[in-house]
Amino acid sequence: MQRSLALIGLGTGVLLGVAGLASPPKNGAKLAPIDFVRDIRPLLSQNCIPCHGSDDKKRQAGLRLDTREGAMGKLPSGHFAVVSKKPAQSALLQRLTAPAALRMPPVASGKKLSAQEIALLQRWVAEGANFANHWAFQKPVRPALPKVQNAAWGKNPIDAFILSRLEREKLTPNPPADRYTLIRRVSLDLTGLPPTPQEVTDFIADKSTNAYEKVVDRLLASPHYGEKWARMWLDLARYADSAGYGSDPLRPNLWPWREWVIRAFNTNMPYDRFTTEQLAGDLLPNPTPDQLAATTFHRNTMTNTEGGTDREEFRTAAVKDRTITTMQVWMGLTMGCAQCHSHKFDPISQKDFYSFFAFFNQTEDNDMPDERPTMPYHTEEQRRKLDSLKAELAQMQMAGDKAAIAAKQKEIEGIRTTALPVMRELSSDKQRKTTVLVLANFLQKGESVTASVPASFPRLPADAPQNRLGVAQWLVSKDNPLTARVAVNRFWAHLFGRGIVETEEDFGTQGAQPSHPELLDWLALEFMSKGWDIKGLLKTIVLSSTYRQSAKVTPLHLQKDSRNVLLARYPRRRLDAEGVRDQALLLSGLLSRKIGGASVFPPQPEGMWQAAFNGDRTYPTSTGEDRYRRGLYTFWRRTVPYPSMAVFDAPSREACTMRRQPTNTPLQALVTLNDPVYLELAQAMGRRIVQEGGATPESRVRFALQLVLARPPQSTQVQTLLQLYQAELAHFKAEPQAAESMAVKALGALPNGMDAAEQAAWTVVANTLLNLDGVLTIG
Amino acid sequence: MDELKLSQVRAVTRRTFFNGMGAGIGAMALEALMAQEGKAQPPAPKQNAPLTPKKPHHKPRAKSVIYLHMSGAPPTLDMFDYKPKLVELNMKPCPQSLLKGERFAFIKGVPTILGSPHKFAQHGQSGAWVCDLLPHTASMVDDLTIIRSVVTDQFNHAPAEMFLYTGSAIPGDAAMGSWLTYGLGSENQDLPGFVVLVSGGTDPTGGKSLWSSGFLPSVYQGVQCRSTGEPILYLNDPPGLSRSERRRSLDALAKLNEAEAKQYGDPETLTRIAQYELAYRMQMAVPDVTDVRKESQSTLDMYGVKPGEASFAKNCLLARRMVEKGVRYVQLYDWGWDIHGTGPGDDLMTAFPNKCRDMDRAANALIKDLKQRGMLDDTLVVWGGEFGRTPMNEARGGSKYLGRDHHPHNYCIWMAGGGIKRGQVYGETDEFGYHVVKDKVGIRDLQATILYQMGLDPFTLSYPYQGLNHRLIGPTNEAQIRHELLS
Repeated sequence: MQRSLALIGLGTGVLLGVAGLASPPKNGAKLAPIDFVRDIRPLLSQNCIPCHGSDDKKRQAGLRLDTREGAMGKLPSGHFAVVSKKPAQSALLQRLTAPAALRMPPVASGKKLSAQEIALLQRWVAEGANFANHWAFQKPVRPALPKVQNAAWGKNPIDAFILSRLEREKLTPNPPADRYTLIRRVSLDLTGLPPTPQEVTDFIADKSTNAYEKVVDRLLASPHYGEKWARMWLDLARYADSAGYGSDPLRPNLWPWREWVIRAFNTNMPYDRFTTEQLAGDLLPNPTPDQLAATTFHRNTMTNTEGGTDREEFRTAAVKDRTITTMQVWMGLTMGCAQCHSHKFDPISQKDFYSFFAFFNQTEDNDMPDERPTMPYHTEEQRRKLDSLKAELAQMQMAGDKAAIAAKQKEIEGIRTTALPVMRELSSDKQRKTTVLVLANFLQKGESVTASVPASFPRLPADAPQNRLGVAQWLVSKDNPLTARVAVNRFWAHLFGRGIVETEEDFGTQGAQPSHPELLDWLALEFMSKGWDIKGLLKTIVLSSTYRQSAKVTPLHLQKDSRNVLLARYPRRRLDAEGVRDQALLLSGLLSRKIGGASVFPPQPEGMWQAAFNGDRTYPTSTGEDRYRRGLYTFWRRTVPYPSMAVFDAPSREACTMRRQPTNTPLQALVTLNDPVYLELAQAMGRRIVQEGGATPESRVRFALQLVLARPPQSTQVQTLLQLYQAELAHFKAEPQAAESMAVKALGALPNGMDAAEQAAWTVVANTLLNLDGVLTIG
Repeated sequence: MDELKLSQVRAVTRRTFFNGMGAGIGAMALEALMAQEGKAQPPAPKQNAPLTPKKPHHKPRAKSVIYLHMSGAPPTLDMFDYKPKLVELNMKPCPQSLLKGERFAFIKGVPTILGSPHKFAQHGQSGAWVCDLLPHTASMVDDLTIIRSVVTDQFNHAPAEMFLYTGSAIPGDAAMGSWLTYGLGSENQDLPGFVVLVSGGTDPTGGKSLWSSGFLPSVYQGVQCRSTGEPILYLNDPPGLSRSERRRSLDALAKLNEAEAKQYGDPETLTRIAQYELAYRMQMAVPDVTDVRKESQSTLDMYGVKPGEASFAKNCLLARRMVEKGVRYVQLYDWGWDIHGTGPGDDLMTAFPNKCRDMDRAANALIKDLKQRGMLDDTLVVWGGEFGRTPMNEARGGSKYLGRDHHPHNYCIWMAGGGIKRGQVYGETDEFGYHVVKDKVGIRDLQATILYQMGLDPFTLSYPYQGLNHRLIGPTNEAQIRHELLS
């Protein structure tokens, strides 16, 4: 019984894999008390709330079961649905087992409660029908640190939460990963790039007790740190270099915002400021150019330039997107369904949706093809130059040389600006009236609404303005139960492959239960109390013993916790799309380490750009170092995402993506085996192997293995690759034309002294190495 | 691990894959591996082998779908919905009653009525009216159900296509082909389960969002087979690398990966090994299925295919070849049907007859070919666009060329095979061809009916995402399975 109860209670199933862990009660043992949130709420949500929830238009029989008052109050029929401790008087229970015509849920709904589920509801009423509100809508409470038996294991409080649960489930954490594994892991996690051979050697040689912490500090200070985490944020912000919809025209002027994000992460901008500047930088007093540029966050929405479209229709669509995205990104709530009808599960009514929408409904932009309004954006370098030119001009004006003044003015005007789309509020006399849109149709206006935050959550802070700035302040207020939790959960998910709440995009009642609720709250409160310090948070996590465990999977793990929810091991997982590319670039030696700037066009197959109603069909393949920039700089055309990254689950960025679902498919194998880009990288790596790997094939194989896996090679690995090399060498010696193709075709002529057959064979070896499971995964 | 154990692991990995068995390859192979190690055998964790065939909800009437989409929305008033009244009122001002409360994409002011400039006649036992630009289609009306009453609620191309194929006018939801492969898997593991073929030199307006897997795992994404270059991106080995050399490198790779699987015990590693083997087989299977030179000259002639030349006809033939090999869903998009009449390139007198000629022959050949091979009963073929076109002449900017503007209130499609009634004309519009007056078929009805014919319950086929059980037919239950269309 215990086992099945646990299974029922776990709803969307994060814990399904471990549900069986709860030790079964011996016969006659007392059952654990019902937990409303775990056991009852999901049952009501799934089966009853659609007709008996917060939506008063859909509500049947005047009964609402999402609040205690609703469930316990007298019904219009005179009955009581739920009477505490009195199952026999509770109409709800009677209807569950009534004859078909009266039974709930109605037979026609196709829903049916199992006997166990009904028993669970009966027990719940008998035990007092305790109603607790959904955990995520309560403010986090600082938990006491749990006691653990193996007190020596933990390095910080994170470990206490993880270990106490493991001990309860009779699992022991894995031993720590070795240093080779650790430096590759943490380098990839914090900067998205593997360590260089020198970095590995330095770490192995460093005998000081804080050697690992020094590595972490170096990585957090690396400019590549900002690139890695900007990548995460770009998915949320649905950043792309085209406007979307049918004709999908190019937006070559959005990249300065990406640069802003990279800089914000690199300078460790506190998350509350990061939030405020992006949502409402333009409404801050005397905003700086950077604060204005930050607001492009919400100009990443799509624009429909297809002929014959209604501007207001797609302006409204963009404002809805901003409303939904804001709730998604900061509070992990799904608001989309409330645009048509009140949310079936969470306390967000349709009126709440349009009241929140009203905050975003007051900007000037209007689905115009030219993306008005924009600001003239200068890079930092351009700004420095402008400042000095202006100073010179001022001096000349004092001197009065007209010709010199004119020349200087011309020079100033000659500095190219980028017209960056930004948020700009309508003046007070031009503000729009917002109404509910019936069935989300922009032509069907319902009742008028005023801007406000959803009624079930804390109100706007007393001193907050009634605009987007107020929304930002509300999100980062200490009273907001969700913002910090959602943020720390996201960072956690990027380091462990899964959030403490697995459904990063849904903290509502339909979302997954947190695997470690106290840990989530501890992290959230810690994050806020330390000033929303992102680098600090990441450092705490990666310094934990939990993070430093080995990834070795044992039969016991598979048996007790196959999905690794409890973290008795480090979660081995595949690199993301950009990670696969960036790593191959680095290993080949071709990676450009340039930070920021406009988007680039690494080679892609011919003929991909043939969007309707659009003349931009020539993909302007980059030359020089721009061929070898990191994945996040790749030009992102929404209707034609860069194909090799799309195969590795990179989204189209048409809408906010809270989490990529990793897949493992044959098309991925084709990319890293055959894409000319990866062949070029294999050729470059082949040359690097010969140049840096010593004089003999064996030393070169050893060098190559050490390079890609960042650890000393094993002799069986060396043997396998040596055999491959020798066989390929013999083949290519006999086939000089094939050798020429394999060694030269993508990258160009061989350096002096290199032999085509040898290089062709090394290219095959490098191509094989770039496809190693241990290279494609982080372990 | 010694050679014996290694080969056993390999055997398990490959056997599992070849047989297209259900539960996770990696997990099974790992079990074998651990059993070899003499350790306790853990229960197999749930892993995905996502494209292996799955049990349908009920007995299917069709195994595969071929959807022929005419991108741009063909003027079906000039093809299947004959309106003498429009001919009678040709070039007269449109009655105000039809314009009230209407929005148009391009028409401004009071437009004139446009009678079809092409001739119509009745054909077959069903007596279906077909325009004389479609002689081949006219010859097969008794194999079709022609629906003259399809209604959408979108009248811009991209949103209308998105609504039709993903159930949502906004990008981000899963395509019908993704839903079908998610629900049913695919019969041939060496080919993608959901293939997209584009002709006419331009992607459909909705772009690649139309074959996106949306919130479903990306393994259900439509795979575009291209008419030039490699049939599937990155399918070809690099120039200079022969098959035997590729095999040798994959063997080395498998050996290294197997050692690693043993070291870390990660089932995902063995799944990856299997994916590389599958990729290797796909590299042979795809060129084979896309090689139309393997067809007889008479078949090529019947479709109007010239090998080496991209065309809608070639895509129709490829669709048949793929369905024959067990591909679940083949989606064709043919560009060039947006008949506004802004010039000879998109008008009713020049552009339209040209498009009709190529389409008519190829679509008819497809039906005949499927029928000859006894495949039509198992293959559901659908032909249609994304919305209708106005009964009025568009005359954008005073254009002298004839054409029609976008119109959401009705259009015609046809369906054949896969348990669809033969020789039926269904639904009716008013005398202007403006509104449906009988047997309205909504887009969601169409989606529900297709899923149903494939053995899936459109109301329960769902995927939980962002707190909602998403379905192709949308969150409400307005969709109806249209049994009147079924035999």
